[in-house]
Amino acid sequence: MRSRVTVGLLGFLIAAAVLVTALSGRNYATQDRDSPMAGASRMHWTGTDDLGRDRTIRMAVALLIGVAGAVAASAVSVSLAAGIGTAAAFSPRPVGGALMLLSDIFLALPWLFLLMIVRSALPLTISPMRSAAVTFFILAALGWPACARAVYRGALDLRCSEWMNQGRAAGLSSAQLIRGLLPHLRPLLVPQFLLCIPAFLVAEANMGALGLGIAEPLPSWGGMLMELDNSAMLARSGWVYFPIALLVGLLLLLESLVHEV
Amino acid sequence: MRFRTQALFVLPTLVAMVTATQATSQGPKPSAELAWAIRYDPKTFDPAKVDEQVSETVRFLTGGVLLRLNPQTQEPQPELAESWTSSADGRVISFRLRSGLRFSDGTSLTSQDVAWSLRRILDPATDAPTAEEFVAPQKVTVETPDPRTVVVRLPLRILGIGKVFDEIAIEPAGRASQGRVTSGLFCIANYKRGQFVQLKANPNYWKRDATGVQLPYASGIRLEVVGNREQEIARFQRGAYDLIDGLPPEYYSLLAQKSPGTARDLGPSLNSEQMWFNQSPAAPLPDFEKAWFQNRTFRVAISQSIHRADLARIAYDGHATPAYGFISPANTLWYNTHLQVPHEDTAAAVRLLSSAGFHKSGDHLYDTAGHPVKFSIVTNSGNSARQKMATLIQQDLAALGIDVTVVTLDFPALIERLMHSMDYEACLLGLSNVEPDPNAMINVWHSASPNHQWNPSEKTPATPWEAQIDKDMDLQASSVRMQDRRRAVDDVQQIVADQQPFIYLVYPNALYAVSPQLIGVQPTVFQPGIVWNVASLRLQGGKR
Repeated sequence: MRSRVTVGLLGFLIAAAVLVTALSGRNYATQDRDSPMAGASRMHWTGTDDLGRDRTIRMAVALLIGVAGAVAASAVSVSLAAGIGTAAAFSPRPVGGALMLLSDIFLALPWLFLLMIVRSALPLTISPMRSAAVTFFILAALGWPACARAVYRGALDLRCSEWMNQGRAAGLSSAQLIRGLLPHLRPLLVPQFLLCIPAFLVAEANMGALGLGIAEPLPSWGGMLMELDNSAMLARSGWVYFPIALLVGLLLLLESLVHEV
Repeated sequence: MRFRTQALFVLPTLVAMVTATQATSQGPKPSAELAWAIRYDPKTFDPAKVDEQVSETVRFLTGGVLLRLNPQTQEPQPELAESWTSSADGRVISFRLRSGLRFSDGTSLTSQDVAWSLRRILDPATDAPTAEEFVAPQKVTVETPDPRTVVVRLPLRILGIGKVFDEIAIEPAGRASQGRVTSGLFCIANYKRGQFVQLKANPNYWKRDATGVQLPYASGIRLEVVGNREQEIARFQRGAYDLIDGLPPEYYSLLAQKSPGTARDLGPSLNSEQMWFNQSPAAPLPDFEKAWFQNRTFRVAISQSIHRADLARIAYDGHATPAYGFISPANTLWYNTHLQVPHEDTAAAVRLLSSAGFHKSGDHLYDTAGHPVKFSIVTNSGNSARQKMATLIQQDLAALGIDVTVVTLDFPALIERLMHSMDYEACLLGLSNVEPDPNAMINVWHSASPNHQWNPSEKTPATPWEAQIDKDMDLQASSVRMQDRRRAVDDVQQIVADQQPFIYLVYPNALYAVSPQLIGVQPTVFQPGIVWNVASLRLQGGKR
């Protein structure tokens, strides 16, 4: 029941964001230079940001970009983890050990600095949309090891399970065995997938707050969080809190969704 | 002149929090002690080795000097020397010391101490940054004909003796004390790394006010090391600090609202924010892009289509002044009032671009060979005003059909691109001018200099106008007569306005805040800022 409510809420948020983006007829980049930092009005339902851009439309677009990016990155990351985890579990011990060592090394990397290095090595004229794609791709490429470890554990147990031994004794090929394996891994992969989404959303927001995430004029949670950097801004504009409240709400919803599953 | 690096590293919140926990909370303070915040620990207390802002502040407050440059008039004023004479060729300067001078520990100050301090600065072993001002420091001689006279013989005339001698603190001969024993206003009483520098008034300072009261009025100064602006402002509001110099624009209205009358706007500062195109032939950019950037018409058209008033109003909350040249109007001595600058007019910019062979098709601008005109503007991450300006310029240039991407990089990555790989198209940064004299900017304007940002370290000037700037800058550096210097500097200002190698955007205004209890403030945009007359600053209800 609860999972239906959360899915419904998420769906509603996304649908609302799509509607706002499609129907308002405004652009997220248009600067209304006569009314920066304006409060709520009929023109701008939730006010404008410091460059006079409509906050409603920016929040909506940021939500769509953020969710789409995080979902895609999570899918890539979990597929990678599933591939590497099962490969490690079903290959000879030294190979499996080496693969897990590799994922441990990945886990130990100072990934924030790595992200900064990769980000600053990108060509400068890369379009904002592409830079957003690259950002999420980097997150996906760095997000798989923890998940791969979990998959490895699970697959290792399955490898020694009775039905697996039976299948092997019956002469099933490894391709057939793996086909049988995937449904068994599902209870492991789905929560991993769902857990990665908020993690990537937060990671993007962190990078954005460091000025390394999605480039202007594309809106992003991180970019919006950066405004919270100084109290002068907060004192002047309570509505700056709104997108953050939305973000936290979204994360909590996903979290509870995971518990349901 | 230096890049504003300090402000750039402020953002990462973790760092700010670490510094926040280090700083101590302020207890009740004696009424006659002044207090304000410094951004970081001074690197040195040795007045001979000062090379950054905070150490300079400490030297200013503690060091006794022969002459002091008055920031309001930019004229040298007598300090420890009651008078001085300079020979006709400017190569022999003789100082007459005041009578009865004493150090803070009570020992008397004679010409021997002055000679010792000067020689220490000139000695290559000391490695004093000020020694460079003497051009050939090893050839300078210092003589002491009597205990109150010092004669300095120079191999070459130096520009601005007021500034040079303002940087040389006189210390007791043979007893360099790192600011503990001084001949200036204050001396260092206590220092806790990462927490505070405590100064106490020098009881033997020579100066008295008109009524005969010993200066300085304040019994001491507490400089607290606070890296976090938020914290500094919160403490100022609580009354723990008496002043804030260099208030960030976004806090201005907050202070004006919460503590009325404390925040003040002095108008344009000496600093500038500018944008420039990479014109270096060594840059790893396509040849057609280099051709745009080296084309004067292109640069002028870009400059014409930037709405500077919007930048000042939106990015700086109104606390900036549109800029068209490298000398700020605050620098009244050198500002060229007859400067002809490209006026802001997007339609004129479109015409100018089409006269240079660019054409617009649909929403995009193309060059003669049909390449779409697009480029990136890099700036440093963590400076919200610059990011906002870049985003505003992005929209201004979209009106011309130019597709601009804004890229923020961390400062080291940015410097790597600007100084070494030359892999960037346009850059937006600011320059802090500490000194009003344009000679201090020679390292930016001289084409052979590595800081000649748009095309660094040219072997020979790449264009006739850069050759002319070189000539003018050399002329102003070597001329003795003020009107010759001024003519040369006016010429450089006009060439820069015509050629737009730097597209000036705004002069951020000088903002500061002072407590209502602090009396005697005579603000100035020139160094050392609002504390220049610290001797006569006092707190209302203080002991004296």
